[in-house]
Amino acid sequence: MRNFQQNLAKLEAADTQVLGVSMDNPFANKVFADQNGVTFPLLSDIGGKVIRQYGIYKEYDQFHTKIPAARRATYLIDTNGKVVEMQVDANAVDPTKTVRACERRKLTR
Amino acid sequence: MRKMSIALLLACSLQTGVAWTQTESAPPATEVKIGDIAPDFTLVDQNGKPRSLHDYKGKKNLVLAFYVWAFSSD
Repeated sequence: MRNFQQNLAKLEAADTQVLGVSMDNPFANKVFADQNGVTFPLLSDIGGKVIRQYGIYKEYDQFHTKIPAARRATYLIDTNGKVVEMQVDANAVDPTKTVRACERRKLTR
Repeated sequence: MRKMSIALLLACSLQTGVAWTQTESAPPATEVKIGDIAPDFTLVDQNGKPRSLHDYKGKKNLVLAFYVWAFSSD
């Protein structure tokens, strides 16, 4: 999420709102945001309903237990609510492509 | 006896190796694809404020950044 924070000014300049989403509770997200200087909303999808709807629910093997969480994924949604770009897993870590896509959309409007 | 146990070990590690590459090479497809209407939702942010996808419709582009868990390195 730090990557998105670092690019937040560029994204906001291109009329884009960033929302982080995970299965963490709001208290964990609050500490995470404060510790990392994240100023955009981090949303709690406890139970993973939205994460399942988007089809990116995954169980991670950690300490011999299966821990449910989201796959790393980035969706760019236009003002009509349509998905125009997406990256999943390792590709979703670097926000450069998303930032460029937002800037392009700003130019073409 | 030692030869046999080494062979057994090798066979086991090969098998786990195969299982590993299978799960790694075929990531499951996502439900929402490019061109789809993004499913609406209302979720609470870190300050307890509800946020909905439809709040931004007609106003702003939206980046939904799903992350595995808080405190993950990136």
